[in-house]
Amino acid sequence: MAQASLAHSVPSRPPLEVAVDRVWRFLCSVRAAIWEIAFLAVLVLVGTLRGSSVPRWIADHVPFTEDLVVRWYAWDVFVSLPFMGILTLLAVAIAICTANRAPGIWTSISRPTVATTQGFLRNAESSARLTSERPRQELAADLARMMRAERYRVLTEERNGETHLYADRFRWGKLGTFPFHLALILVLVGGVVGARWGFRETDFIVPEGVTRELGHETGVSIRVDDFSEVYDELGVAKEYRSDLTILREEDVVSTGSITVNNPLTFGDTTIYQSGFGQAVRLQVADQSGALILDESLPLGPYTAKTNPDAPAAVLDIPPAGVQLTVIAPDANPANQPELDQLRLRSGQMYLQVRPVNGSSPLAGVEESVIRQGETVALGDLAVTFVREKRFTVLQVARNPGIPIFIAASLLLVGGLAVSFYFPHRRIRGIVAAAPDGTVATLAPMARRDWSAQKVFGQVIDQIGQALPVAVERTDREAAERAEPGRTSAQTAVGLEPIA
Amino acid sequence: MDALVRLAFYCFAASSIALAGSAVCYLLFAFGWVRDRQPALAGAGASVGGPAVSLGIGAMAESFGRFATMLAWFSVLFQGLSIALRSVAAGRLPLSNMYEFSKTFIFLIVLVYLLFERWYGVRQVGTVVLPIAVGMALYVWSLPVSMREVDPLIPALQNPPLLTLHVSLAILAYATFAVSFAAAVLYLAADGRRIGWLPSPALLDDLAYRAVTVGFPAMTLVLILGSVWAHRAWGTYWSWDPKETASLFTWLIYGVYLHSRSLRGWRGRRSAVVLLIGFGAVLFTYFGNYIFGGLHAYGGV
Repeated sequence: MAQASLAHSVPSRPPLEVAVDRVWRFLCSVRAAIWEIAFLAVLVLVGTLRGSSVPRWIADHVPFTEDLVVRWYAWDVFVSLPFMGILTLLAVAIAICTANRAPGIWTSISRPTVATTQGFLRNAESSARLTSERPRQELAADLARMMRAERYRVLTEERNGETHLYADRFRWGKLGTFPFHLALILVLVGGVVGARWGFRETDFIVPEGVTRELGHETGVSIRVDDFSEVYDELGVAKEYRSDLTILREEDVVSTGSITVNNPLTFGDTTIYQSGFGQAVRLQVADQSGALILDESLPLGPYTAKTNPDAPAAVLDIPPAGVQLTVIAPDANPANQPELDQLRLRSGQMYLQVRPVNGSSPLAGVEESVIRQGETVALGDLAVTFVREKRFTVLQVARNPGIPIFIAASLLLVGGLAVSFYFPHRRIRGIVAAAPDGTVATLAPMARRDWSAQKVFGQVIDQIGQALPVAVERTDREAAERAEPGRTSAQTAVGLEPIA
Repeated sequence: MDALVRLAFYCFAASSIALAGSAVCYLLFAFGWVRDRQPALAGAGASVGGPAVSLGIGAMAESFGRFATMLAWFSVLFQGLSIALRSVAAGRLPLSNMYEFSKTFIFLIVLVYLLFERWYGVRQVGTVVLPIAVGMALYVWSLPVSMREVDPLIPALQNPPLLTLHVSLAILAYATFAVSFAAAVLYLAADGRRIGWLPSPALLDDLAYRAVTVGFPAMTLVLILGSVWAHRAWGTYWSWDPKETASLFTWLIYGVYLHSRSLRGWRGRRSAVVLLIGFGAVLFTYFGNYIFGGLHAYGGV
């Protein structure tokens, strides 16, 4: 009945206010944040395994999992709704949670509570009792002086004939959480900015000597003046290099030589060396002898239909109404040699032309094997294999999110360093008059914090050596280990003589 | 094989022997078959080089402990020498494939552990760390002999400053996470039981945390420097490559550990369990090259 009365006496809140309050509390909840991070970690693991052979192994060894594994490989976790959703939720939670904690942290730094209770000191996991014949004010002043010498900020407050003492060190270390969490949000912002206002052109293939427009409203073209590669004795490419000229219409914007770890930047756009491959320069003339094609074709974007080790190129030649296919020699003859039915030797190319529409004068498929410098007739066309060349594979990117990312990185590392290596150390104490002098009881605010308790012990050691006090240290945890069930209040583990 | 490389290999062999001896001594120290039957009680933990009676174990076990530490330092010395010689032979730090990476990992895991041993004054954690190091040494010995040769760097790795920083920080992070894992294992063994030779659970919990406070920033720097390098070499600072995301997974697990500890006040058993999961993530990332494709699919495995 009493409970019912109490319930009636509480004014009801509007549902909207209740809902907003719940959402706010959810976003501020550390427990929820931990689960969100854990869920994100699980999604990252699922996405990571997708790029491995583990799902395939599961399908091969666990019955009825084939469908699941197929779906797994098909699901790009990192662009999925759950992944984006949890990232967004985390970003919002970080922002709100950090903002919510800010006033409390600032208060604990700027205006900490000085007064404490005997109960706190009695129940602390470790504490020290300093006994002296000196008056209370003198002992309190000496303790404050000693702790200031250890770079502690010391605040005191007189209360009921006792001196309450609060000392702390590295109080600004508590602020490290803010740059760290801000950095996490900035990383996401950087990613969004890069994706929204930048571009990335992968597999930008340009044969040697060819100029290709970049696009993306840059108005520039990239010309590959030269390409060179160096191999080691095992035939592995040690280095490959493209000499580039960047053109805006006819004007040279920039020139440079790029390798894998040395890109070329012009304006806010950067060109990266990504790969290379074989190219072939062909000339095609029609029946009248007029040149209808003079191009360097990259071999490698395609491979021969029956042999994945044979680089190939396919090109439509609209004036002749034909499609030209070029196949290079098998690049890896040791691998499945039975697939290499063309048996081309170094310096040879296989050519094939086929009609692509009814207007083509070509009746059927024509094919031939040709050597460098030769010309063959394929139907009405004369095809000349001018020379072998190289093509370079570039990546071209503009990412305006990079400065944000760099700022985030600095904040991330700085925040972590401040939080971890400058931990907030706090000591509380009461200095009170006793029948035979003065007693100061001190304890660190270091529940289940071995390092903080060790630092406290060092401070007490310093005080014990410098001041004429008897020091009695108490360590509840050690006492518990020595004799379970016995409390520390009954067990003094250290008693040092008066200095 | 180049003479320096051969000499580096011999030093690694000497280091492996010292490592195995050290691990055996740590185990003898820990399990203490020569342990005093008297239930002498340890205080906050056994002090390095302290009197045997304070350990609550027999004098022989204490001797084994001192011998274990000495052999571990010998192992570090020979492994350091091996790395130095191979660095001279290769003209760079040996960090470019699983053979070199694992050798440097063994060096750092033992070194990091020994520093913690000196810092905290307890050597019991070595009973878990040293067997891990021996396991890694066995793994290195099991790798193909051809990997002992010094090979030129592939173009993607030809960035000595970033290769050195990115990879050595990864090894440092893994080494400190291994130490935190060892402390967590012992914590779980010690928690709620009276095992006299183990340090206090509070100390183990703190040691594990301190190790993570070194490893987590190192892992953060690994991700940042890896991104900087990827941006320079591949044109994008993040590619969702399996090795990248495995590292992110590891980072997130330790993020859960730090958040739950600092903000939720998780200490002890729950924290220790998270550290076990975290080290599982480290091993997954470490050996992921065997199952991952993608941009990090080099390393000679």
